[in-house]
Amino acid sequence: MAIINYAPGSQGCSSGCSAPAAPSGQANLASPLELHVCMGLNACKGHDRFGSNDCAGTGYCATAEYHVCHTLNNCKSQGGCGLYGTAHEQDFPGENECCWQGSCAVPIQAERISTMGRNEGFSTWKLARKLFEARMEKAQRNVGPAPFQCGPPESWLSAQVDGFASCGNSGEMVCSFGFNNPDDRAKEICESNPEEKK
Amino acid sequence: MHQNNLFKTENEINPTNFGEALQQAIEIEIATIPVYLYTYYSINRSPNQDAISGSIAQALVRKGTPVGEANATALNLSADIMVFANKAGALIMSVAIEEMLHMALSSNVKQALVGHPDLTGKSPSVWPTCLPGHVPEFEINKAPLSLDQLMTFLKIESPKPLPEKQLLGAIPYRTIGEFYKMIKEYITGNDLVYHDRPQLVPGRGYYAQNNIDTTYYDKEHKAHLVNNPDSGDLITVHDRNSALMAIDIIVEQGEGNEDAPGLTDKGGVDCTLYPSDYDYPDFKELSHFEKFARIYCRYEYLNHQFDKLGIGVDDIGIYFVNKIATNPVTADYPANIQAMSNLLNAVYTYIFVMTEGCYKKDGHTQYEIFMFGIHKSMIFILNSLCGQIMGMSYTDKKDGKTTYMAAPTFEDYPFGLVSSPKQQVIATYNAAIAAGIDVSYLGQRIQDLPDVAL
Repeated sequence: MAIINYAPGSQGCSSGCSAPAAPSGQANLASPLELHVCMGLNACKGHDRFGSNDCAGTGYCATAEYHVCHTLNNCKSQGGCGLYGTAHEQDFPGENECCWQGSCAVPIQAERISTMGRNEGFSTWKLARKLFEARMEKAQRNVGPAPFQCGPPESWLSAQVDGFASCGNSGEMVCSFGFNNPDDRAKEICESNPEEKK
Repeated sequence: MHQNNLFKTENEINPTNFGEALQQAIEIEIATIPVYLYTYYSINRSPNQDAISGSIAQALVRKGTPVGEANATALNLSADIMVFANKAGALIMSVAIEEMLHMALSSNVKQALVGHPDLTGKSPSVWPTCLPGHVPEFEINKAPLSLDQLMTFLKIESPKPLPEKQLLGAIPYRTIGEFYKMIKEYITGNDLVYHDRPQLVPGRGYYAQNNIDTTYYDKEHKAHLVNNPDSGDLITVHDRNSALMAIDIIVEQGEGNEDAPGLTDKGGVDCTLYPSDYDYPDFKELSHFEKFARIYCRYEYLNHQFDKLGIGVDDIGIYFVNKIATNPVTADYPANIQAMSNLLNAVYTYIFVMTEGCYKKDGHTQYEIFMFGIHKSMIFILNSLCGQIMGMSYTDKKDGKTTYMAAPTFEDYPFGLVSSPKQQVIATYNAAIAAGIDVSYLGQRIQDLPDVAL
């Protein structure tokens, strides 16, 4: 998009009340994919970015549109989580109710931690996976292992997703100032459990 | 120095000026926001550690320090700088976020007791500025991080009166807490009517105490969140108690508890941490004053550490504070940066327009304005523009040779009445595109903003 032509009342979910012109495009509804926000969160075979996964929970990447920040998700269940947003929003990654209510970027790299809520300081992806597994249990479905135990590492995502980024100014989530091993820190984030904190 | 003379003769709050006093409180909170944000954006929170470490090691070796020892010292100090830069940013942003909360809380009090809060066009227009009504007046600049700037922050948040005596402007007060105490006394001593009008209320996702920008990493790169999730939230003002609770949050978050010591008698910083330096008696979060004191003391300590090395570094800011001007205005910039600055200021001002809109609409409309407009503008659009403008540079017109990085000026954009503010935001976006600024990634996001009238 370059130049914008002003259109009153054109703001997303709350479009104006005037009769809209019939859209000319055609969505592909023949075999739509379930939209989810990251690796290991797919409910069905073939419902990942590459369409090649065998079963629930084994997909490689999000089917929701990639985006970098809070409020940029297209619609329900298409928002990531962890960096911005309230405790309630961050307690339910990938389960937002409407467009622009997701609390952060999609996909969710393994190094991302929640900054609010019951999962504060712990892996956002693991919380998303836990909620997904609970949903599958309710649906009486078996869930396969995710390609990475704790979600996609940022280095892997950067190789897969052109220009992968998530917002914020606080710097790299896993690195070293010379006094720690970044791999140990990544392992710590992967293995830490908010239940044990209690 | 610019003093808002809201009150010509009255020095206390009474039925006639109570509404103006609450508006004065709102404008005190607003005045702090561009100051803290400007200094925040002056900080490079992730400087190049290798470059810092290398320059320190080389300087030490030139002085005759053995290479191994020089490298060890350089690694240690460079890590200290990395942590300090990141933590200073997190602390300043944590305060800026709470100032926005305070603006909303004081607006809620005004909305319940008097009527609509005026937020648009209330950012300081002349710099240096001052806090309306503060005695003594002291200069407040939009300036990069430094010990001087931190001292200004400490004066703003001081729980104790500052030593000087000067002329009065608006309703005079010596500390912000003292001003709010006058408001509390008036509320307590009078039987006021509390109106049911739209406010920014808790439980709707409007306010979050922490985010990734209030996070910093320590030397072992463990993440720390600097605000306490229980340190205060929005409050719906519907009676005397709720009004007083809203004001208590503002004061305790800003200045700490009542017996917080503040600056020393000589105007210096006491680096001892006292229980009263926390915002609540539960010792979970430092007051704004004490957050700034922690940055100030650490800054001084690290300066001293470098001074002891004798390598010619007398201010560690050279490693992580961006070279930006003090009190720049858009007119200082060349045409292309002016176009960028106008867009940034239009978005900044539109956030206040939308916030005012939240006090005119309730229910889902208010929710959509806040979540789809204010959140998107603050967290994504404005933050992106602030980062982008810092990547541009210009030569100072005054001396014709000093090169500065451009910085967000946080000036109120003068929205006119002939078209909607959103239409004018779009016009500034189109002007930036026409000036060759690559902001096209924001086009759809700006188009998505709610359309809120002045």
